[in-house]
Amino acid sequence: MKISLNWLKTYLQLDVSVEEITRAITFLGLEVEGVISTGAPKLDNVFVGEVLTRDKHPNADKLSVCTVDVGLVHGVKTIVCGAQNYKVGDRVPVSLPGAVLPGNFVIKQAKVRGQLSDGMMCSAKELGVAEDASGLLILTDRPALGLPINQVLPAGDTVFDLEVTPNRPDCLSHLGVARELAAWFKQDLVYPQIKFRGEIDETLGIVQRPDLLQSVRVEAPEDCPLYTAHVVSGVKVGPSPTWMQERLTAAGLRPINNLVDVTNYVMLEYGQPLHAFDARRLAGHQIVVRRANDGEKLITLDGKERVLSGRMLVIADAEKPVVVAGVMGGENSGVADDTTDIVLEAAIFRRQSVRWTSKRLGLSSDSSYRFERGVDPHTTLEAAYRALDLIVETAGGKIVGPMCKVGGDKPWSREIVVTPDYVRERLGFDIADAEMKAALESLELNVVREETPDEGGLRWTVSIPSWRDDLDRPIDLVEEVLRLYGTERIPPAVVQSPGLLADDDPIVRFNRRATDYLVGHDFHECVNYTLRPAKELATWTSQTAAAELALANPFVEDQSHLRPTLIMGLLESLKLNRSRGVPAARLFETGRVFIERNGQNFECAAVGFVVAEETERRWLQREAADFFGAKHHIEALAASAGIDLARQPFVPLTGQAWGWQEGQSATVGDLQHGWFAQLGLLSLALVKSLGLEGKVYAGTFAILPEKLTADTTRRRFAPFGLFPAALRDLALVVEAGTPADEVRKVLAKTARAAVGNAFALESVNVFDVYRGQGLPEGKKSLAFGLVFRSAERTLTDDEVNGVFQKIQDELVKTAGYAIRK
Amino acid sequence: MQDQLSSLLAKAQAEFPALASRPDYEAAKARYVGPNGELTALMKQMGTVPKEQRPAMGKLINEAKTQLQALLDATLQRLEHLELTAQLGPAIDPTLPAPDCGPGTYHPLTLVREEMCRILRKVGFVVADGPEVETEYYCFDALNTPADHPARDAQDTFYFPDNARFGNVSKKTSEEKYLLRTHTSSVQIRTMLKGPPPIRIVSPGRVYRRDTTDATHSANFHQLECLYVDKNVTVRDLKALLDYIFASLLGKETKTRFRPHYFGYTEPSFEVDLTAKHLPKVNKEWIEIGGCGMVDPTVFDAVGYDSKVWSGYAFGMGLERLAMLLYGIDDIRYFYQNDLRFLKQFA
Repeated sequence: MKISLNWLKTYLQLDVSVEEITRAITFLGLEVEGVISTGAPKLDNVFVGEVLTRDKHPNADKLSVCTVDVGLVHGVKTIVCGAQNYKVGDRVPVSLPGAVLPGNFVIKQAKVRGQLSDGMMCSAKELGVAEDASGLLILTDRPALGLPINQVLPAGDTVFDLEVTPNRPDCLSHLGVARELAAWFKQDLVYPQIKFRGEIDETLGIVQRPDLLQSVRVEAPEDCPLYTAHVVSGVKVGPSPTWMQERLTAAGLRPINNLVDVTNYVMLEYGQPLHAFDARRLAGHQIVVRRANDGEKLITLDGKERVLSGRMLVIADAEKPVVVAGVMGGENSGVADDTTDIVLEAAIFRRQSVRWTSKRLGLSSDSSYRFERGVDPHTTLEAAYRALDLIVETAGGKIVGPMCKVGGDKPWSREIVVTPDYVRERLGFDIADAEMKAALESLELNVVREETPDEGGLRWTVSIPSWRDDLDRPIDLVEEVLRLYGTERIPPAVVQSPGLLADDDPIVRFNRRATDYLVGHDFHECVNYTLRPAKELATWTSQTAAAELALANPFVEDQSHLRPTLIMGLLESLKLNRSRGVPAARLFETGRVFIERNGQNFECAAVGFVVAEETERRWLQREAADFFGAKHHIEALAASAGIDLARQPFVPLTGQAWGWQEGQSATVGDLQHGWFAQLGLLSLALVKSLGLEGKVYAGTFAILPEKLTADTTRRRFAPFGLFPAALRDLALVVEAGTPADEVRKVLAKTARAAVGNAFALESVNVFDVYRGQGLPEGKKSLAFGLVFRSAERTLTDDEVNGVFQKIQDELVKTAGYAIRK
Repeated sequence: MQDQLSSLLAKAQAEFPALASRPDYEAAKARYVGPNGELTALMKQMGTVPKEQRPAMGKLINEAKTQLQALLDATLQRLEHLELTAQLGPAIDPTLPAPDCGPGTYHPLTLVREEMCRILRKVGFVVADGPEVETEYYCFDALNTPADHPARDAQDTFYFPDNARFGNVSKKTSEEKYLLRTHTSSVQIRTMLKGPPPIRIVSPGRVYRRDTTDATHSANFHQLECLYVDKNVTVRDLKALLDYIFASLLGKETKTRFRPHYFGYTEPSFEVDLTAKHLPKVNKEWIEIGGCGMVDPTVFDAVGYDSKVWSGYAFGMGLERLAMLLYGIDDIRYFYQNDLRFLKQFA
């Protein structure tokens, strides 16, 4: 909303600097997005002059030597000029030596190619009044010679570009902003003098003209609670007065003609949108506020054809829609150059209705903007009368009957009871009763009753003006008091810091642990977008899952789906670094992923990492990444979520392994149990298709947030034996496809059974895997180290050997493993 | 015999330094003090020595034996040292770089978030979390943003189709839609619905706006919000918190100011500006950093808190914006590109 300072000054005295006004507006709560000064700046030594002669410069083709009359005081001057657009007899601005033009351009007497020049004739741009630099500013209305130029040029103005919050539609008008400033600067606000008061007095020659407007009918009062129409007969369309054009231009509107300009002017003054019809173009001289028929068409003033639907409200005549109510008028009924009789509409349309229609048509206007935010129905007639005054003043004509008003019968009345103590309690500091009351009343929030009931202190009843529909509770008045008191005066204080009431959320602790772990292992933390393109999802999930993860209204095509894994973003980061020649190998991210399961999505907390081959050459080569490095990280990350993977089966990813390389990757856990992990080598084809060289290992762990709980179980100390351990190694020949962990479990179970209660099997660890020479085809050898210990004594070789033999016999007999000697 | 002992010692002194390995040493040791060693042989001759000379001779033999043992010990020590040194390669060049990549780095958004959480924890706030997929109730209705409010436009908010189902994001009513939360204020609602006041939480997290990505806008970004609900919480307390936060973060010379503003879920509401002329790339006197206000009674009504008893404040800000300010970063897209040259600058 652009607010002109000159315009504001018509309602109150503002003898303060622009900076002070800017500050006031800011602390009143209307954000100032920009301050622009327009019009001519103050220019000394620049006068109106007339070109008496013009001769070609003897030494330059494009220059002329002119004599210029600058009036009696300054006399006739000789001036060299490069412009071409003027002729002898034109009046132009003349800067004489001593003048300082915008840009700190000082005018001096000077020789131009050997010819003395006593000053400069100026373009609009040189004077700082407009952008036109194509030639001299010709003063076509021939002002008196020697007049200071500021008396001729439009006065300068300052325009504040305001961002008005949605709760303050009253400030979408100059009067509204003036009201706020009057309160701030403790000035009186002078409302416009309105002559017309709604009386059609036939004795004064004001007549009824049903031939211009017969009737107004509102068929949809729920969306149009108030409709007024007035008729002015005998108007003459022409340009509006300069002052009005200047103010409209300052506020960012283009002047059109006196009638349209008045409706715009009053809208910017009062915040009430208005519309003027050419009376003769209203078929049947009727106005009907009704719902559009589905498919009905209207060409709006912007020249576009709009197809209307049954939920939209239109203003129609007897035959056709003529206005999209509250949004924009139609070409078929607006004011034209030859209009003589007009109907002026001032109405209220329900904000939701206007908003819906404006959205649906993709059409917003100054009018719809205001209706969507709320227009005060109790100012509507006032604004109409103001416009009628201005129409008669600028376009002539007479106000005639009938005066139509439909709806708007509910009188305004609102009072809020508040105690000064309540305000102080909410603010937390002291403001005197008198200052509080003055603040409220400066905003026309008048204390109409002051009581001191038996219990409690002073109590005020405050009347709320109709334009402040946003105020309806005591807390709202606290804000008003504080605004006027000044938020900069809130006294400093120390933060009250009592003890903690709870602990950080378990998700936060999981994220911190996982992040600390991976950063500690030389990974770089990344942050990628949650929304991913459909084609990327196709690599990672089934089509049905992707469909569930799709947004209803994506904004751009490549951000249409929720991410099911963090790996896709990490690969993108890897690629970006590589393409920029930055060596990157170890990246990770923590964040939400979304997993589809049986037609439902689940939001999971997740951590993912990638380990790519190093691209940087180093003087000492480290071992390349492998599956088991990834497994090690996954175990640590699961532990940071309180999940112990020691007893969880890792299952190879086979068949449709999505982004993973079959046979080189695995999964553990299941979302059914609240968590799962995937790890290993990423699909070579996928990595290659991304243009990445080498192998990429990765891991991802996801868990339902509700599975992350505060770790409250207290661990119990487990005693351990202090006698020496007995160690035995055992190599088993098994089918090559048998998972090592399966063999280990069988071995452990067998060993425990063989040991019985005599002593204990402390651990079973695989320490060698062998395939090849010396073994039958399709077999492998797994070597395990077994540790036995007793808590009570040192074990003898004999007893351990006995058990060890028993284990071997049992394994051969029941498990079918061969012992490798 | 005395001469024999002397020559034996002299021989040992000459011979031992040349011993280069443990087997050589063992052999030498056997030659002198073993059962058939030379010293042993001399000792065996004691019987032939006249009785009166025996004490003196015994003394001589013991002295020789001690000396010989000392020579053997020194030799063994020398050999052990040689053995250990043999395990080493040539001397290292400590100026060569460590051949491992690293160290790892924290993302600047993590650093800023954690710093804020630490600052707030000192004054009693704990970190709360909530889902990023939300429903209209938690994101809008409960926050006094009714159905026809412009903030709920499909133009600004990412919605999911009507039939979308999220197994672990609860809906308040069956007909409401799922969406991507536009602010972390939904966490406030979920926290308040979970239990009674008092409450002091900080909720950092990812939020989504249907917006064009450019130097200052991003389709998803991060917010951090504080909520404090207790008895007699005042505007002055809110200002004190903001002053504390930014003085902790940016130094004591930092000042904040409140500009009255409007948010549906707070009353009164303010935008918060700060001055931080000492920061790089800050050329404006006041920089907008967040929004705040006193919790609107309507919000308390929605979560079943008695607004006559409880009062509170809320404060929210963008983490990217804060990080940009703190580090002098001029483009929000850097946060999401993960160029290592960017990431390595902050950790």
